[in-house]
Amino acid sequence: MTQFRRRDFLKSSAAAALAGSSTFGALGRAFAADPVNFFAWSAGVDQVKAHVSAFEAKTGIKVSYGNAPWAQYRDTLVTKFVGKAPLDTLWVSDAWLPEWAEAGWLAPIDGYPQLTKYNSDVDDFSTKSMMWKGKQYGLTYYTDYMAFFYDEGMLQKAGIGAPPKTWDEVVQQSLKIKKAGLSEYPLMLSMARETWLIEFLSSLVFSHGGRFVDDAGAAVMQDKKKGAHEALTWIVNAVQKHKIVSPACVEIGELNGLKSFTSGQHAFAMLGRYRVRTLNDPKQSSIAGRVKQAMMPAGPNGKHATVGWNRFYGLTTAAAKDKAKAADTVKLIEWFGGKADGQYAFQKLMFLDVGSGFATKPLFKDPDIIKAYNQYSDIKMYEAQQKLAQKKDVVSPWFGEWDEVNGTAFQAAVIGKASVEDALKRSADTWNKLRRRA
Amino acid sequence: MFFSSIIFLVYVLAPVAWLLSSSFQGEAEITSRPPHWIPHQPTLENFEAIFQAREKKVTYETRRAGDPATGGYIPSTARNLIPSMWNSLVVAVAVVILNLVVGVPAAYAMAKIRFIGRSTSIYFMLTTRVIPDIALVVPFFLFIRTFGLLDHLGSLVITYLAITVPFSIFILVSYFESLPDELDKAARVDGCSRLQTLTRVYVPLAMPALVAVVLFTFLSSWNEFLLALMFTQTPASQTMPIVVASFASDFTISFAFINAAGVLAVIPPVLMAIIFERYIVSGLTAGAVKG
Amino acid sequence: MSIRAGALRGVFGAPVSRYDQASAMWLLAPMLGVLLVVAVFPVLYSFWISLFDLRLTRPHRVPFVWFENYQEIFQDELFWQSVWRTTSFTLICVAAIMVIALAMALLLNEEFRGRRFLSAMLLVPWAIPYVANGLMWKWIYDSGYGALNGLLFQLDFIDKYMVWLGDQHKTLWLIANAFIWKEVPLATILVLVGLKSIPADLYSAARVDGANTWRRFVHITLPALRPSFMLVVIYETMMAIRHFDLFFILTEGGPAEASHVLAWHVYVETFRKLSFGTGSALAYIMALVTFFLAFWLIRTLGRKL
Repeated sequence: MTQFRRRDFLKSSAAAALAGSSTFGALGRAFAADPVNFFAWSAGVDQVKAHVSAFEAKTGIKVSYGNAPWAQYRDTLVTKFVGKAPLDTLWVSDAWLPEWAEAGWLAPIDGYPQLTKYNSDVDDFSTKSMMWKGKQYGLTYYTDYMAFFYDEGMLQKAGIGAPPKTWDEVVQQSLKIKKAGLSEYPLMLSMARETWLIEFLSSLVFSHGGRFVDDAGAAVMQDKKKGAHEALTWIVNAVQKHKIVSPACVEIGELNGLKSFTSGQHAFAMLGRYRVRTLNDPKQSSIAGRVKQAMMPAGPNGKHATVGWNRFYGLTTAAAKDKAKAADTVKLIEWFGGKADGQYAFQKLMFLDVGSGFATKPLFKDPDIIKAYNQYSDIKMYEAQQKLAQKKDVVSPWFGEWDEVNGTAFQAAVIGKASVEDALKRSADTWNKLRRRA
Repeated sequence: MFFSSIIFLVYVLAPVAWLLSSSFQGEAEITSRPPHWIPHQPTLENFEAIFQAREKKVTYETRRAGDPATGGYIPSTARNLIPSMWNSLVVAVAVVILNLVVGVPAAYAMAKIRFIGRSTSIYFMLTTRVIPDIALVVPFFLFIRTFGLLDHLGSLVITYLAITVPFSIFILVSYFESLPDELDKAARVDGCSRLQTLTRVYVPLAMPALVAVVLFTFLSSWNEFLLALMFTQTPASQTMPIVVASFASDFTISFAFINAAGVLAVIPPVLMAIIFERYIVSGLTAGAVKG
Repeated sequence: MSIRAGALRGVFGAPVSRYDQASAMWLLAPMLGVLLVVAVFPVLYSFWISLFDLRLTRPHRVPFVWFENYQEIFQDELFWQSVWRTTSFTLICVAAIMVIALAMALLLNEEFRGRRFLSAMLLVPWAIPYVANGLMWKWIYDSGYGALNGLLFQLDFIDKYMVWLGDQHKTLWLIANAFIWKEVPLATILVLVGLKSIPADLYSAARVDGANTWRRFVHITLPALRPSFMLVVIYETMMAIRHFDLFFILTEGGPAEASHVLAWHVYVETFRKLSFGTGSALAYIMALVTFFLAFWLIRTLGRKL
């Protein structure tokens, strides 16, 4: 080893220091915030990029588009807001609207008639989910609900003619499939603590005829009749007693669950309805062509209800403060959430490419859409289930904080660390405490 | 001896070897059960994806239909990996330089000069290292945020000093103490000031310790995660651990790609450690038998 | 390490020259300045913030609440559970690191061909970033396709793939394993340094007296390694208590809080719930606890020198 030369060391460190300081300087100047900063989760990335390119070509306004995984989206955005990262428009979930509006991060769009004029073409429940304290906070990006899918091929192999109508039938059919050696854990249920979890839990609770919170806003989840008790007991039994759901479900996020289902390891899965496009695409799924949607199974006291959600384009207060920036951002919001060149282009693009649902009423009559959907699923089933979709009942300014505790509590029950009663009590106590404090 | 060496090597290297092997496997192969310990069809596609990830303009014609969830998805953040390594490098070098500038004089003073407050300084310096990083993040975050300095690499550099300076000084003080005092007196007799004694006499002698400090400081800075997570918001200023961590939490990405990113993240520090290996032991050894 | 306890106590009564004092102050000034800014100031500032109810979801209303935040923290069961988990994590890690490091150092202390290669390879785990370490182990522990499952399956120890990180009983120890693996190299080097400073004559004399390998080990090696062990214990305890990275990458405190340690607790409180008041209080408590723990450790273990 040659002798380490002090002079060389000093020389190179001086060079590095200079390089470093000029980088620091450049960084300081970099945030001049000229482009419109658009942040979304990583769905339809290429579709968004393509639409952004068209926007830039048409208007000459530069757009800086970034995305993050949906599973950590809320945490990522909260850190961005708190860290005052440059952000002008973004996708928001209905569940976070009260929290983000109260924190002063989102601005209402009521003052922009070029956006509110689209409300007449949108489903009423969708517009309502973008409103908080009488003000509207965005244009709808997409609306959808939690669906129940089954692998028809696997069911037939097990000698089952029709999909299950109740959660009890799910257990029976799963046991049969398990015994036939076709799948070790026939029901794919994702219980990882991520942004999706509340949607999965809500659909289970609603289909059992229960609720987390009553109309007055008080916690009822711990109630044995009206609450989440039945639903959680069913999940716990499914994992521990019947063993039809993998104990690794607390580790499996929605994406891994999707991958697992598409590789043919399960007979049933609970996934967002829009996933059916991927499930039946031979390029992306090894069970393509066999996946069908069934009505959400009902609990003994429930009906085929499910949870519906709405995601929308929000406008940040930071953007709204600067008139020029606000004008550019509103144009981008209109291009995506409203009409682009006179067409609901983006909504249609997302539906045809990725299968995402929409709340824009005219598109339901679009022949391309009808034809495309019927290639991989049943549009009648789509509408029938959508009619029974319920809005999440836990949307509130403290939703984020409560969601963490609730998710952990449910997980604790599933892995047997806590009893169902204790878990729900913890969740209810936290809800009440947060409600009192607000 | 041979047997224990084998166990030693397996314990130390096996996980890394698996990381390496996984990075050369294609998407389909990496999901085999049981896993292929040595790739049957080695491929460079994961590394290509990282090096070739460029911002390509996507239009209606060139878009990829279908959901990224089901495979072969290279995230758009892939192109951030190489620039983030550059950020990490800039920060690490700055931290190393500052450590030397701040630490060497202080260590010399504490080791060789008798002055009032000497033991206090030593205890003070040691106790500051005891503060956990998370206890630093909270106040720093609020403070830096108020001044709008989030996302500035400079704020990372300053905060990293908190976690590197105490240990650097500790190493240097130990080593300086092991160097003979007579040199100091001799230099003073010759008319050198304290500072000159330091730079002309002790620093050349303390090379091993200096290299050890450079290495420790560089690695601490390169590997630091929590502070960088909180203080960098945009890809322009993110350091390597943040980008790599973002891959890990994104399930749309194939495992093979994540492993390839891991390999790239690992190469610079490992190379540095191996090259300077001999200095580490001698740098930490103060006045011990030559090994 | 040669900071002898006596030297630290200062030299009583010996005159200090003005020149020495002045030059020492100048030489120390940068360090003092830096540490005041990056260490002392945050601790003081976080104490100040901890007296307020500062929530970033409600930025306009920041009431001064005296010590209510601390009350809330101490009444929170999850806090005490985190403390317990952190303690067990730290104890297991430090114990395991000591044992493995000693074994490795003993091996590296012998002269044999390829020793340089071995000690170079030793540095690999130490050099890799915690993030990469986390990724690597996450992949190994993966319940669907991981190497751990694959290996055990191939060796017929298990007949089907198991859940590792998702199993609440195993998860903390799996994270400990990843942490230990990465910390062992540095500990090994510290012990090795200690081993090298043991004069060879002690061993020859003992051999002459008829002591066998085991007795030489227990009566010469171990006592001589006390300073090194002390250093390893103190350093690794500090590292284990504060550790965050692996918990973020591997489990995010889950499942169902099975790996919810103190550092993670502070993070969640501050950056997920956005409650900076309680978060600061927690950070401050943690800083104080580690400070007193270090102080106590140095006192008790240092006395035995």
